[in-house]
Amino acid sequence: MKKRRSSSGVAGGGDRRFEKVLEEIMEGEVDDDGGRLKMKPRWKGKGSEAKASADPMSKIVSQLYSSLIRSVARGLLLSRNVLIEADAEVSYLFNRARFGRSRITSQEEKQWFQLDMEEAFYLCFSLECLKGIGKDGSIKSNKELWEYSKSEKPAFPISYKAYSHLRHKNWVVRSGLQYGVDFIAYRHLPALIHSEYAVLALSKGDNELNGRLRVWSDVHCTVRLCGSVAKTLLVLFVDSNSQGTSSPSCLEHYTVEEETITRWNPEQSREDQTSLRNQTK
Amino acid sequence: MMPRWKGKGSQAKANADPMSKIVSQLQSSLIQSETQGLLSSCSVLVEVDAELADLLNRSCFGRPRITAQEDKQWFQLDMEEAFYLCFSLKCLKVIGEDGYIKSNEELWDYLKSKKPVFPVSYKVYSHLRHKNWVVRSGLQYGVDFVAYCHHPALVHSEYAVLVLSEGDNDLNGRLRVWSDVHCTVRLCGSVAKTLLTVIVNSNNQGANSPSCLEHYTVEEQTITRWNPERSREDQTGPKNGTKKV
Repeated sequence: MKKRRSSSGVAGGGDRRFEKVLEEIMEGEVDDDGGRLKMKPRWKGKGSEAKASADPMSKIVSQLYSSLIRSVARGLLLSRNVLIEADAEVSYLFNRARFGRSRITSQEEKQWFQLDMEEAFYLCFSLECLKGIGKDGSIKSNKELWEYSKSEKPAFPISYKAYSHLRHKNWVVRSGLQYGVDFIAYRHLPALIHSEYAVLALSKGDNELNGRLRVWSDVHCTVRLCGSVAKTLLVLFVDSNSQGTSSPSCLEHYTVEEETITRWNPEQSREDQTSLRNQTK
Repeated sequence: MMPRWKGKGSQAKANADPMSKIVSQLQSSLIQSETQGLLSSCSVLVEVDAELADLLNRSCFGRPRITAQEDKQWFQLDMEEAFYLCFSLKCLKVIGEDGYIKSNEELWDYLKSKKPVFPVSYKVYSHLRHKNWVVRSGLQYGVDFVAYCHHPALVHSEYAVLVLSEGDNDLNGRLRVWSDVHCTVRLCGSVAKTLLTVIVNSNNQGANSPSCLEHYTVEEQTITRWNPERSREDQTGPKNGTKKV
């Protein structure tokens, strides 16, 4: 099994190599040296690629941001979720930016959305366009929200770093639980493109909170399942660099290393040079 | 869950020739021929004649390996298979790289050094084999073993087995987080197998010698998906149900 590594610097700084590869894929460049991550995005139907280019995810998220700021949005903390009452405009933007899931309630005129912890924290802390309200009715500071999230989910710092790392790069990131992974990352709206990566967020260093891929049977299990649902396994190794987890500001010193794990088929790679071009390593 | 036989006549064939009988024949044949296996890293290699080769194939122990020697047949046994033949069935001896026959204790220590989880994994293997299940490596299905109720040529494997241990040394790090549970159950479903977790408790007996094994206890649990829509109306559904999560 081969792995492809690419490393990232601090939060927000982005990974130039990873982005460059994405740009090249988007431009349809074909590389002959066989040493590139060569997965062309599989757009659903004609015109999808054009639609996506005309309407980049960054712009959609920016519209959501503006709308939430204008409406002075507030979310209610409930166990592992944040519930938001959304008007028609905000609902529309939540759907387009793929944040949260709409929930059916008895209230006909109002639309409620349920956000996962990472989604909520991203809107509150990274985009600063949402505030969370606790059961006591008071607004939670980012630090309080961070502590709350950690208490609900000890691996939250790691999983949040992975989530925000991808969202910052304008990937759509959703829960991957039904696929046996942490997240699913799409290049654009799922309606337009087949999802590309099944993401596992693992911690580097001594506190191994997310116990995945420690034994070979798990590696085989995960790679095989990802293969059967046409996704590439992407592992994000988050290193806290001994910064601890006492406050969300620790996050900027975490580093993320990306690795894809795919099967290498000796028979397929042997003779056919052209098939190599379209294959991932 | 009823066994899914491959084609007509398979079930009859299997009933006429139970696995317990085949394994017993293998045992006799190995004892008679005083067969010795060669320890090689994580496997044991045995040189066998046509009769033994046939019995090994029919009882599903080891895999035949192609060698340059045309007249001889070599089989490669996994650790658990080899130890089962040596220790549980007492019909095989294993020679180490130094040329000496290894005692069961020596073999045990050697295998533990190669695979720390061996005591627990062996307990599960032998537990199922004692009950006449055919147990093979499950690595390609992302699990530890796959269990068949007879030869794989006759029946589809029913269970994908994961070895878990209770107590402080949880060496086989599976199913600790929900994503792994979903991953495994979904994969098992896609290859039509039921996930069977076999939880071994060493009862603080340690793992110094193979005699510790008899004090280990084993708990079996199947994990399947429960579909609320399917179970709602159909009253006959739960009757064949396994324990659900």
